[in-house]
Amino acid sequence: MASSLVVGGSEDDIAEALTIARQLGSVHIVAYGNVNAASLAEYGHIVYHIAQDDPESIFKAVKEIYDQVKPSLVVALTSKNLKDALSRLAGLYDLPMATEVFNVKLSGDQVSYTRGFLSGRALEDDVVPLPAVLLLAARKTPKAQKSQSKGDVKELTVTPSIKVVERRPKERGGVNIEAAEIIVSVGRGFRSKDDLKLAFDLAEVLNAQIGCSRPVAADLKWLSEDHWVGLSGHKVAPKLYMAIGISGAPQHLAGITDAKLVVAINNDKSAPIFKNCDYGVVADLYQFVPVLTKRLRERLHK
Amino acid sequence: MGDIVVLLKPALNPEMIRGTPEGSVDFDYMPLKLSDIDRNAVEEAVRIRDQYLKGSKIYSISVATWGPVAKRDKDIKMAVQEGLAKGVDEAYIVEDDLITPGDQVTTASAIVAVLRKFNIKPDIILAGEATIDGFSGQVAGRVAAKLDLPYVSFARKIDIKGNTLVAERDVEDYVEVVEAPLPAVVSVTREINSPRPPTLIQIRMASRKPQHVVKLSDLSDVVTPKKKLSAARVLAVKRKQVMIEGKTLEETADKLIDALVSEGVIKA
Ligand SMILES: Cc1cc2nc3c(=O)[nH]c(=O)nc-3n(C[C@H](O)[C@H](O)[C@H](O)COP(=O)(O)OP(=O)(O)OC[C@H]3O[C@@H](n4cnc5c(N)ncnc54)[C@H](O)[C@@H]3O)c2cc1C
Repeated sequence: MASSLVVGGSEDDIAEALTIARQLGSVHIVAYGNVNAASLAEYGHIVYHIAQDDPESIFKAVKEIYDQVKPSLVVALTSKNLKDALSRLAGLYDLPMATEVFNVKLSGDQVSYTRGFLSGRALEDDVVPLPAVLLLAARKTPKAQKSQSKGDVKELTVTPSIKVVERRPKERGGVNIEAAEIIVSVGRGFRSKDDLKLAFDLAEVLNAQIGCSRPVAADLKWLSEDHWVGLSGHKVAPKLYMAIGISGAPQHLAGITDAKLVVAINNDKSAPIFKNCDYGVVADLYQFVPVLTKRLRERLHK
Repeated sequence: MGDIVVLLKPALNPEMIRGTPEGSVDFDYMPLKLSDIDRNAVEEAVRIRDQYLKGSKIYSISVATWGPVAKRDKDIKMAVQEGLAKGVDEAYIVEDDLITPGDQVTTASAIVAVLRKFNIKPDIILAGEATIDGFSGQVAGRVAAKLDLPYVSFARKIDIKGNTLVAERDVEDYVEVVEAPLPAVVSVTREINSPRPPTLIQIRMASRKPQHVVKLSDLSDVVTPKKKLSAARVLAVKRKQVMIEGKTLEETADKLIDALVSEGVIKA
């Protein structure tokens, strides 16, 4: 009988992957790190748990179970550590693997899916033979229900060759940009960190969260990474997205395809963002943003 | 002493995307270029050689995944040439219509086949964290597993201490410092360095460096593509593209606010 293997480090992620996995007969779960294995057992499948959560340990644990079970599908949610761990499994056995997939359909000995392509400017539909490794796009699959019967929990131990010396949590700006209703987003058009005050003032009037392009968070480090919007940052879906001093590179646009309304403010009338916005203003942000903030304050709060 | 290998992908340039009238991606029109993050990988290869592994050679390996080769050859060579100009000493290019359009299973097996065939024994294999076309970031991990080498992904800082690689991995919520024994495979993020453009002399010298074109028949154990790309469509997000202009900045601001109010996104 066909079977599948679910891998994850949190109950929510595992419950999403289970929805796909259960279409393929018996399911085995490999759970890692600080996850409640007893709670996972309530889904009714065997749970293998390892305490470590570094990619090499995850790879070794998954390989051990893969070799025993020989599943048709390995399924998990997309994350950096799982891209690392599962690309090794895929490489070892020449399995097809795809990341951030949705619309997963299993039929016979193959699986089809859709995913973003060309830095998010296109969608590809692929068909691959089983066995395969699929990393799902987050929050596009409903969570599986727990079941009546309880599965067993088994602890695994592995010894990785890579030593984790230190772990530092990243600085958090305390925003959840993915849930924001209005986003004022800043790019390289701002000449210094202090100048971001112009955007913060505007955001205050609009009751908006602050977003940013990759260089502002990654290279300049003016804002923490939870503000970073785009292909390699956060995908957002606000009702209003204001891109200020952002050129509109494909990798930035990939993060805002679900925004309802996009406004662009840029002093270069040929900036690509103007082809990808609903309303555009060609202006120097240093002159225009203070005026916009002032007029909004007068009109919204009078 | 071992050498350095850097993986360079001639990738479809997403900025040049164009659709057919039916909305499919017009692959024939789209040019290839060196995938952006691979540029950081070459830069890091050169830095590591100059700082830690003096005297070692830098090889690049590229597998052409977009065909037909005859049509793409110029773009592929340009991408590879960029690596040579930036400091790669010798380039290997796997170019064969039997493996285009390729997939990651094919790419990784071809890279390993080149290493074996030409007896390249690197101390370190570098790659970008992901490519600008596929963006799935799995080739480096596959190569590591096939060679049974340690793999360090998403490195944004690399040091070498004797026979140990010390790297800072950039994970979603934390930064992790790891130590791995060499030889190892490492994927790097864009933040690891700021690639310098090659000088004119470097560009001129690049054309004299060896470029080995390899066919499938020269290699063994290359797995042909498993993935069937059934369709690729341009993501058409329809935006209104209304430009707002006023005689003064106040008037422009008011017109924009009026538009936002009529769209129902703000109340004034
Ligand atoms: C694989 C990969 C993944 C990536 N992921 C992301 C991602 O997730 N998110 C992301 O944002 N980027 C990402 N990038 C980077 C992306 O390609 C761009 O480099 C980046 O988005 C550019 O940021 P920017 O628009 O702020 O800066 P720039 O491109 O430098 O644009 C600045 C803009 O400001 C305008 N400007 C300058 N001065 C003023 C002024 N006084 N008033 C008004 N306007 C002004 C300029 O005209 C210009 O259009 C990625 C790249 C790669 C290769």
